[in-house]
Amino acid sequence: MTGAAWPLLVHLAVAIGLAAGMMAVSHLLGERHRERATGEPYESGIVGTGELRGRLSINFYVVGLLFVIFDLEAAFLFAWAIVAVEAGWAGYAGMLVFLVLLGVGLVYEWRQGALDWGRTRRAIERALAARESSRRPVTLAGVPFERGTPVGTKGRR
Amino acid sequence: MKLVALVLVPLLGGLLAWPLGRRRTEWARIAAVLALGVDLALALSLLGPAGPGGWLATFELPWIPSLGIGLRLGLDGLSLVLVLLTLLVGLLAVFASWSEIRERVGFFHFNLCWVLAGILGVFLALDLVLFYFLWELMLVPMVFLIALWGHERKTYAAIKFFLYTQASGLLMLLAILGLGLAHQRAAGSWSFAYGDLLGVSLEPTLALWLMLGFFAAFAVKLPVVVLHTWLPDAHSQAPTAGSMVLAALLLKTGAYGLLRFAIPLFPDASVRFAPVAMVLGAIGVIYGAVLAFAQTDLKRLVAYTSVSHLGFVLLGIYAWTSFSLTGTVLQMVAHGLSTGALFVLAGALYERTHTRDLERLRGLAPVVPRMGAAALFFALASLGLPGLGNFVAEFLVLVGAWEVRPIPTTIAALGLVAATLYSLRFFQRAFHGPAAEAELADLRPRELTVLGAMGVALLWLGLAPQPLFEVVAPALDVLLRTAGGTP
Amino acid sequence: MSGETPMVLLPLGITAASALAVMLAAAVRGPTPRAATGRAAEALSVLGLAAALGSQLAVAGAAPRRVTPLFVFDGVSSILGAVVLASALAVVLLASAYLRRLDEPWEEIYALLLLGTAGALALTSSDHLVGLVLGLETLSVSLYGLVASVRTRGDEALEAAMKYLVLAGAASAFLLFGVALLYASVGTLELPALTAELSAGTPAGSELVTVAGLAFVLVGIGFKLALVPFHLWTPDVYQGAPAPITAFVATVSKGGVVAFLLRLVAAAGAVARPEDGEGLFVVLALLAGASILVGNLLALLQRDVKRLLAYSSIAHLGYLLVALLAGGELGPRAAVFYLIAYAVTILLAFGVVTILSRAEQEAGDLDAYRGLFWRRPILASAMAAAVFSLAGIPLTAGFVAKLYLLLAALDGSRFGLVGILVVGSVLGLYYYLRVVVAMLATPEPETAASEPVGASGGVALAGLGAVLIWIGVAPSAWLRILGIWLGG
Repeated sequence: MTGAAWPLLVHLAVAIGLAAGMMAVSHLLGERHRERATGEPYESGIVGTGELRGRLSINFYVVGLLFVIFDLEAAFLFAWAIVAVEAGWAGYAGMLVFLVLLGVGLVYEWRQGALDWGRTRRAIERALAARESSRRPVTLAGVPFERGTPVGTKGRR
Repeated sequence: MKLVALVLVPLLGGLLAWPLGRRRTEWARIAAVLALGVDLALALSLLGPAGPGGWLATFELPWIPSLGIGLRLGLDGLSLVLVLLTLLVGLLAVFASWSEIRERVGFFHFNLCWVLAGILGVFLALDLVLFYFLWELMLVPMVFLIALWGHERKTYAAIKFFLYTQASGLLMLLAILGLGLAHQRAAGSWSFAYGDLLGVSLEPTLALWLMLGFFAAFAVKLPVVVLHTWLPDAHSQAPTAGSMVLAALLLKTGAYGLLRFAIPLFPDASVRFAPVAMVLGAIGVIYGAVLAFAQTDLKRLVAYTSVSHLGFVLLGIYAWTSFSLTGTVLQMVAHGLSTGALFVLAGALYERTHTRDLERLRGLAPVVPRMGAAALFFALASLGLPGLGNFVAEFLVLVGAWEVRPIPTTIAALGLVAATLYSLRFFQRAFHGPAAEAELADLRPRELTVLGAMGVALLWLGLAPQPLFEVVAPALDVLLRTAGGTP
Repeated sequence: MSGETPMVLLPLGITAASALAVMLAAAVRGPTPRAATGRAAEALSVLGLAAALGSQLAVAGAAPRRVTPLFVFDGVSSILGAVVLASALAVVLLASAYLRRLDEPWEEIYALLLLGTAGALALTSSDHLVGLVLGLETLSVSLYGLVASVRTRGDEALEAAMKYLVLAGAASAFLLFGVALLYASVGTLELPALTAELSAGTPAGSELVTVAGLAFVLVGIGFKLALVPFHLWTPDVYQGAPAPITAFVATVSKGGVVAFLLRLVAAAGAVARPEDGEGLFVVLALLAGASILVGNLLALLQRDVKRLLAYSSIAHLGYLLVALLAGGELGPRAAVFYLIAYAVTILLAFGVVTILSRAEQEAGDLDAYRGLFWRRPILASAMAAAVFSLAGIPLTAGFVAKLYLLLAALDGSRFGLVGILVVGSVLGLYYYLRVVVAMLATPEPETAASEPVGASGGVALAGLGAVLIWIGVAPSAWLRILGIWLGG
């Protein structure tokens, strides 16, 4: 242990001590209720209604991920653009490879239907065709799909 | 080249027997008999005058040259006697299990042949890594023999046997590697050849530790009391052929290892250790005899007699005199034959009565007179009746050991009295008393041949052991000279 | 960059390109299973890995060459790269029958396998901490997907994947933090320069930072190798992952990390006076000893073959570490040799498990192996050979490898570790023998449908078995190659 570390330790001790102390004091002195609404979550003084764990469409996550990926990757392009001339043809080739990789990824996602929001007509046709061929339950974005349900561009029933 | 063939023939015989046994069971047995018979002829053809160093034949081929490990084999009188014993007992084991083993006959003979090949290899190996390789190789098929064709507690017995031998074997491997390393440090090059390692000079403490590594492995196999507890289980649970191979051959690899490796490689450490070993041997003689007397399971009884008899072997080896060593070798052969025969008898009884319990076997002599006669003969051999091989062997061991250390020798001599008690008790329990009312088949010609061959051999060893002495003498002289004992 | 440089990058390039090609096959397929693209992915993976292995062997043995500051291509990367590629090839061959039995698309599994292989391959040649992180992350991220890849495996696989994700994420964080701390205190990320700096004496005032950095890097490495106490994920992942993926985790993902550890220990050993390097060696020795004992002891309690092999793998990596620590001329060779023997053995074992398994009902429990010897003698013999090899019984690769390892350890005077190793081996014998005894048990009435081996699986099993016996009976050619490639 070197001399440089002890202020850090003191700081740590004070921080933990302070937090523990505040909790201990409020535990000892605080009022305690045990009534009907005590355990309920509330917002702005209003008791909430309904389930907290509503299910969101998987598409939100997929699109979110796509955004993160392509946004980050665009950042690489900027970095390269600054030194494009100095990096020369080797750098250019490297960037091309990078873009090809991105392109393959994009093609893959597109073909998997990750870019389709909800049930597009094409996705449904394809799913039906698949059902004919494999006789396995057809699902679209995790929702079981039956023939004859109305087709729309909105995903949620 | 003949030496390689000696190991390879049973290996190939086993490989042949396996698929043949799937077609017809008899073919597997015949393949095993043929392989072992050819091997026996091969071994007999090696009889002759000893060359320099006592060797009758040697063989060498590089194997892992970068570490100085080679396929080095050598055969001297000692090895030859044990090789002949192995093949003889192996052949008889095939005959003895002719009607006992009915299931998976091909695989049974595969395992039997491979165990025998491993044992033959152990008796021939002159490279320490090769020796360890073969030492371990004979284990696995033996475990299979016990685990597959054994009696009630076969799995327990097989695992116990495997763990004891493997654990001690690892210690020996460490000692072998340590010795090789010491040679490398001294000579600058790797070698695991027996001849090269004989001359390595070691620091006394290191030598003692390495010697103990070897001793651990051999003591478990021999077995030395305290490390013997696997033996009654393995022997009593194995099928007849398995018990025969265990008692007659596997235990001898331990004795052989002590004679060939543990003592010559570490003569000084062995001298320091000899008193302990001899006391352990004497304790083994008495302890084995007392426990044999208390057994009710016929095969366990015979198993404990092995502990007792091999106590003499340990005593004789560590006395390290010309007499005691000669006696030891003879004891190894005679014990192999007499105990093997007792296991054949136990197996034959079990086949007929389905019990090994001495409480339930009674008055069999009038029912199966030939079996009774055979049992009496081998019980007498086991207790050391003059005129049979065991007597000569034990007498020589005691004479040889007396000169060196009289007290353990005296204790061991008491074991002879105890042997009389347990042998006669066994015979009296099973065969005397009011005649049993069972209808049992007496010994069949095949069984009679097996037992007859063993009986004749024992008689020969008891009445005219000189030819055997002449074969082993040069080898023992060389050993005595290398390790500096009293000739 | 000279003209020859691309040659040494060829294996990595081929592997990565095949991953891309397989992904295109998956894109062509779309969201529903299709036999043609599945077969194409399979063929692409096999051909790609075979070509990569071929080019790896073709460029092996050349003079050491550095490509960018991150990678160095030398003997270690030649051998371990070949081990990684050959193991991946075996996994792909073994997986084919298993994956074809799935009723869900499987192209992505091949793509991830190839990607993970590329990561491991990068690890074998990186002697730069950034290279380490790059390779390790490529490998890990592929593994997250692979462990959960077969949906019909159900909750077990998901649980395993979650556990792996969380713990591996934590381990990666430790690793990165360690790398950052090392950079802060020493100012370089190149392994040789780093160890040189460290042995010259750490800058005053930053000892704590340096030690913490090294320790955190070791945590990351220890996690990947499943050394005690970083082993907690191992049994669940081995059990939960589909059998071929378990084989991948057990071999490919270990090969690359061992290469890095080899470089780390060699670099530390080369520059350090005994008293300087001791810290690292003491820590590694503790990890090795703990892994051997804990791995073997816990394996004793297992009834599931995949869990049993998981604990045994912990112990075996401990053995390998003993050889690494032994140093000298023999140490690294023994470690690499042990890794080769272990890879062959464990691939054979998991190969049999894979063939006996269906995604819904994997051949995990020991009961699935009861009487296997009488039902399917050849498969059971292969399994028995693998188990005996793990136990170090003669005629198998494991025996020669253990012999060599013990020799190296004795040569390096690591007596304490040798003692632990022997104790661990004896413990190991018991549970290995239990597997064999179960296979030899009298046959139960025929229950499980007998799965076909498949042509590629048969080829892989036969090849692995042949190599296992070859190494066990005549290892001198292998040792000679090791001697040439590892120098000395």
